[in-house]
Amino acid sequence: MKHSTSQQDLSIQDRFGRAVTARLSESASTLPYDISERLRAARMQALGQRRAPQTATAPHVMNHGGAATLGFGDGEGSLWHRLAALIPLLFLIAGLIAVNMLNDDFDAKELADIDAAILTDDLPPAAYTDAGFVQFLKSRLEQQAQ
Amino acid sequence: MRLASEQEISDFLKSVEKRAFKRSVYHVRNDEAALDIVQDSMMKLVEHYSHKPAAELPMLFQRILSNCTLDWFRRQKTRNALFSNMSDFEADDMDGDFDLLETLNASNGSNQTESAENQTERAQVLLEIEKEIQELPTRQREAFLMRYWEDLDVAETAAAMGCSEGSVKTHCSRAVQALSKALKAKGIRL
Repeated sequence: MKHSTSQQDLSIQDRFGRAVTARLSESASTLPYDISERLRAARMQALGQRRAPQTATAPHVMNHGGAATLGFGDGEGSLWHRLAALIPLLFLIAGLIAVNMLNDDFDAKELADIDAAILTDDLPPAAYTDAGFVQFLKSRLEQQAQ
Repeated sequence: MRLASEQEISDFLKSVEKRAFKRSVYHVRNDEAALDIVQDSMMKLVEHYSHKPAAELPMLFQRILSNCTLDWFRRQKTRNALFSNMSDFEADDMDGDFDLLETLNASNGSNQTESAENQTERAQVLLEIEKEIQELPTRQREAFLMRYWEDLDVAETAAAMGCSEGSVKTHCSRAVQALSKALKAKGIRL
């Protein structure tokens, strides 16, 4: 019995609340023109704010589209764009390989010249490892200096 | 859950903007400030919550509106004045010697053609109601307006206000009693 009375109170409370707010709705629906317009402008500005980031991220989304359609022959503009960006990198790699090869050639040629000079000299290469011969060369250099 | 489309957000804001403005006016009692608060709330909703499902927008917007109103009070350095009203919760005398039914007009739904006199009277009644709404303590007013004007249920109102469902029921009950008493004292029947 008490429970049903409480429910009835709630129902009356709800009815009263809705009766009051129905009157308030009348007031809200008859706002002055300038207020309504400023609210409309505020709404448009807020919604415009939502659109702005979308346009900013559009190119990013399109790039993803290009990558996604790579295997299907679509989005060629984006594919060529990516390939063109790789050209300078390819040139750099080719340049480094060329420099490395030239350097190897120079080193090989230098070693070959030394070998040729040693082999074509009158003196046998074994003489350079002879301690007596080295002493002989030193004493000759001293005599020439005097 | 389906996310809100731009059209849905636009429609939602359109449906709620006038009530939001009036609610802010009841709180801050200043049209310019109320417009700023509503605009801030709309911006924040769109900026941070436009990826949420459409069904969640009402509760989120009410919460943002409440926070923006509170921020406005903070900026105005009148926070103490705002929260001093909250002590009114405990001060309410809960004598049950009045009858809500007395303030509810029995002739609901009678659609008589309004005369100019009636219109003036209605406008006067409306002003009195708005005045009494403004006189309510902040939390009672918030709960009452969210529950009955924004048509949020108790759970949604509690979530928007950041309090328990029991508190919402208490605030609403006290707000209804205070309004009913005040309107009855002025001889206003709804």
